[in-house]
Amino acid sequence: MNESAVRLDGIVLNRSNFKLGPLYMDIPLGYITAIVGPNGCGKSSTFRLMLDLDKADQGMIELLGCNVSQGMDTELKKRIGYLHDQSSSHENSMTGAAKAEFHRFWYDEWDINLYRELLQALEVEDHLMLGKMSKGMRRKFELALALAHGPELLLLDEPSSGLDPLAWKTMIELLHRYMEQGDRTILMTTHIIEEVKRLADYIVFMAQGKVLGMYEKDELFSSWYTLFVSGADLTAKLAAELPGQCGVEHAGATTFRVTTNQAAEAEEWCAAEGYQIVSRQVLELDEIMSALLQQNRLHKRKI
Amino acid sequence: MRLPIQINEQSAEPLYHQIEVQLRALIVSGQLAEGTLLPSIRELAQTVKCSVITVKRVYNDLEAEGLLRTRQGTGTYVAEVCEKERDRYRLGAVMEALDQAVIAAKRVKCTEEELESMLKEAIKKHFD
Repeated sequence: MNESAVRLDGIVLNRSNFKLGPLYMDIPLGYITAIVGPNGCGKSSTFRLMLDLDKADQGMIELLGCNVSQGMDTELKKRIGYLHDQSSSHENSMTGAAKAEFHRFWYDEWDINLYRELLQALEVEDHLMLGKMSKGMRRKFELALALAHGPELLLLDEPSSGLDPLAWKTMIELLHRYMEQGDRTILMTTHIIEEVKRLADYIVFMAQGKVLGMYEKDELFSSWYTLFVSGADLTAKLAAELPGQCGVEHAGATTFRVTTNQAAEAEEWCAAEGYQIVSRQVLELDEIMSALLQQNRLHKRKI
Repeated sequence: MRLPIQINEQSAEPLYHQIEVQLRALIVSGQLAEGTLLPSIRELAQTVKCSVITVKRVYNDLEAEGLLRTRQGTGTYVAEVCEKERDRYRLGAVMEALDQAVIAAKRVKCTEEELESMLKEAIKKHFD
């Protein structure tokens, strides 16, 4: 197995209205991993725990091989870049340049040329006050800040929120360029399907404070299919026996629309049983997510 | 450099296989000359919208076949393909396509004679 950049081992956070965990995660070094999940599933809370902004009630967190459950030292912080999901209002009356100056003080590896280049690529002016910047402008500025010290690990909490399509494209390119070195890692949360498609190598699904699973992207997309299966004596009951079946729908006559998460096995099964696959469709990420959520719910009901 | 690789998302063929077949064809046909520097793994993954894991697998497979070589730190290059090998691959790709055609014909219950005459027609159409 690959080295891990982030490891969560049995993390639990108890809040009066929410319980996070127990979480187990192993984010591989050198790859882009995207965490996806519905609102309020605990993505941002997990990030805050990783950065030691909140304390977990139980469990262990390891970043770049260092245990951070007992606090985080500045040396480790220098190796990490973080983009918050929300900008802090207490910085509103600060100019971009002043905040950059502050970052420069803390990060030894701060690269002023890279910072300038990033601002230019993203079309941001840093002489404006942060509170005066538009939402998208401020996000872009914060992204430039998170990248400018060349961190080994980049934690991005919904990086694209507020960005226009052109800025979004620039961001994707910048992130790819950032990864080019090969030993860097991005862990990000997102709601944008296209972003996952373009960036991610691994996908982590989260829901209700739990990890539903982690998948290699291409493997995930190639195992989920909707198949239209047809056969003279095919019934809904028989169609439900298709390997990896996650939903059967009647599609007229003796044709059934079956969703599977084991496409290869399902096709073999059809061939062996003598059923015909009339057509096949890939599932989009949101469809996979809702199928996983449903499975998760059914599973719980059984208990 | 952008490689002319097209992905069919709806195809049942695995992604890595689609990329591998097309990249192999580009090399064997000589469209990518010996010594050409290929895009980095991350770059190719970005253009075909797949994960780097898939591209790594393709590069590894083709390297094992001797079509690519990787120089540490500089990247992946197209290796020398000798004439004999080139022929083998060239005909291999055609053979595979013919196989697919025969399978498609069998699926709609074509007879051998029908298939032969169709093949002749196709040859005529493209060669004359």
